[in-house]
Amino acid sequence: MAKESVDVCIIGSGAGGAPLALELGRAGFKVVVLEKGAWYQQTDFVHDEILNSRRNFFMPLPWDEPHLWRTEGQPYTRTNEAWTANCVGGGTVHMSGFFYRLKPVDFRMKSELGAPKGSNVVDWPITYKDLEPYYDKAEAELGVSGNAVPHPFLEPRKGNYPLPPLAEHPVAAEIDKAAKSLGWHSIPTARAIVSQPYRGRDPCVYCSLCGSYGCEHGAKSSTAASLIPAAIATGKVELRPKCMAKEITVDAKGLAKSVIYLDADGVEQEQPARVIVASCTAVESARLLLNSKSSRFPNGLANDNGLVGKNLLFSSFGQSKATFSVKKRGEELPWLNANLPFVNRSLQDFYVLPDERFGFRKGGTLGFMWAHPNPIFAAVGLARKGEKGVFGKELKDKLRTYRDSRILEFEIYGEFLSNDLTYVSVDGGVKDKFGLPVAAISIKRHELDLKMTQFLVERGEEVLQAMKPDRVDRVGTAGETTILQGGTCRFGKDPKTSVLDVDCRSHVVKNLYVVDGSFLPTSGGVPLTLTIAANSFRVADRMVASLKKGG
Amino acid sequence: MKDEEDDVSRRVFVQHLTFLGGGVVLLGGCKEEPKPAPPPAVKPAALTSSHKTFTNDEWATLTAAVDRVLPRDEDPGALDANVPEYIDAMLQTEQLQQMKAQFVPGVAALERRAQKMFKTTFAAATPAQQDELLTLFKNSPEKSGEARWYEMLIVLVMEGFLGDPSYGGNKGEVGWKLVGFSLVGRNLKGDPKSPYDGSKRLHQLVCGGGKGC
Repeated sequence: MAKESVDVCIIGSGAGGAPLALELGRAGFKVVVLEKGAWYQQTDFVHDEILNSRRNFFMPLPWDEPHLWRTEGQPYTRTNEAWTANCVGGGTVHMSGFFYRLKPVDFRMKSELGAPKGSNVVDWPITYKDLEPYYDKAEAELGVSGNAVPHPFLEPRKGNYPLPPLAEHPVAAEIDKAAKSLGWHSIPTARAIVSQPYRGRDPCVYCSLCGSYGCEHGAKSSTAASLIPAAIATGKVELRPKCMAKEITVDAKGLAKSVIYLDADGVEQEQPARVIVASCTAVESARLLLNSKSSRFPNGLANDNGLVGKNLLFSSFGQSKATFSVKKRGEELPWLNANLPFVNRSLQDFYVLPDERFGFRKGGTLGFMWAHPNPIFAAVGLARKGEKGVFGKELKDKLRTYRDSRILEFEIYGEFLSNDLTYVSVDGGVKDKFGLPVAAISIKRHELDLKMTQFLVERGEEVLQAMKPDRVDRVGTAGETTILQGGTCRFGKDPKTSVLDVDCRSHVVKNLYVVDGSFLPTSGGVPLTLTIAANSFRVADRMVASLKKGG
Repeated sequence: MKDEEDDVSRRVFVQHLTFLGGGVVLLGGCKEEPKPAPPPAVKPAALTSSHKTFTNDEWATLTAAVDRVLPRDEDPGALDANVPEYIDAMLQTEQLQQMKAQFVPGVAALERRAQKMFKTTFAAATPAQQDELLTLFKNSPEKSGEARWYEMLIVLVMEGFLGDPSYGGNKGEVGWKLVGFSLVGRNLKGDPKSPYDGSKRLHQLVCGGGKGC
């Protein structure tokens, strides 16, 4: 039997779902949030690498709930890639919280930089100005620490961050010097971590295990630590953890009617609502719509034009690392001896490339950080495998060298060009433990992404080399960061070329919204979490106005 | 796609790559549907074994192999950290049933190979012979059973050497001391009267939600 109808049912409690839940609750609307994962409390977050990073604490087991992955021309393989944390707060729980805004150019890439052949680059239906007040709001509501300094690609902003920057390791000043010697601008990286007590939350204690972990102090600004408690406090929002949405049903008029889901005990339930919102990540929201087939929507909900799942976006990834021996060089480079976890430096001088050398000028951001302290991860990486693999004394020597070193690395958040061969479908023939067809991800990297990423990696290596490390090792230039995902339900003005309208509402199903990264027409050259949250606050304003009108 | 330096190309988040050993457990399941994990069963051999997962013979082989991966030198090695005990217990967890199904036969394969090549057990072979055989497994073609087994061995040894001590390995935090992780360490909040137990938490991940197991 169906549950009592509510105003809005939101599927997912991460960066997209939580802002909307909060704003709707504040406006007095009755909201149910369905979250497939557990509702972890702060005491559940422990420094146990095995539990946290190597088992199913955040990510499902790949044989229970796989994703399928194929690069062009290859067969699908099962993977747990492209999942974000399955828990209340979603990916914001294990994020590092590198909170950058997009730049005005991201909204007008086709007009300003053109659309490369083989890509599906378009302008956004909104501009940076439209989103700017919601960036302010998201930074304040979640709690962001940082310091906005002038640089050539600084986006327009009204003021500084709500919280002062976190304490930085003295290496930050060394990066500043190195970048300056090259004529570039090393800028502070804003973090979704509170540096001071904020809205009843405790500040960061600099424990070092931040990214990939949940914060046991609540200092990381996950939605679980910030927006969700505020939403619950409105008294209008009910959050149901361990509830897996199977399908969104439609009524005779083709409007969204209810969400069919499996509750924590595996029992099927139906939650009707006036408005239904998908916010399950770009990959999983596409899967949910594609799995919601009906006689009105035989190809999946809101998929009349066949574009649901198309134009999937990740973030172009490249990385290099510099090793400094503290043992040998601690006296020469005294800053090596300090122990603070945050580097918090970025380079955005190549957000747009300086010239047309590759025929397309979009670039991205370099973020500098210490190598992650997880020891098992580090050791397995040092041991390697195959012909390059080592064991025995050689491996122990490597572990000791690792102990006596500091490893500074940068990673790239580069534009990822959408294209016809990068998409999500549900046609891989594999079902998950719930019996639902799983998301099948097909990917083809645009050659311009790879050239651009390599260019950025080379620039980052120049910075590292200027700091005179013992060695610089390139990790790669051709990766993609799959926890940063977007596309699949692109928003736009034309119902023929987009899935969602400007308000992130389906063009065809007028009471269906998608508010995770799915709306993004282009990836931008920064991590997307802040943009997803800001956009959800924007959509919330529009939805509240629409609901008040009875729409 | 391949990167220049490593066979690591897609970076999801920092350890996502190495989840359960970098896809090792997936390799067996790519072409055919992996069977659902069987419930942990008491295998007949266990009746005569003092271990949870391995027979006494398998245990001898495993212990010798683990010792060669991280031998004791001026610093403690894998045996000092109770790595074999860790592997024996960890392969009983629900999450690693697929890995167990691949790893245990690999131990037997290593043993057979030793007897064929050296006319003695792996445990009784010389360290040089043991290293020769491990190198042979390590350098086998990428998707061969031997290469996969070696990858699993490395992953399990590192987990047992550098994981939370509550799982039975990293005894006395010797692994953490070797790599300088003691700066971060466990730093666990919670009730000091009820010590942290990672294995219990792992079990809850599978059997939580009132379903029981």
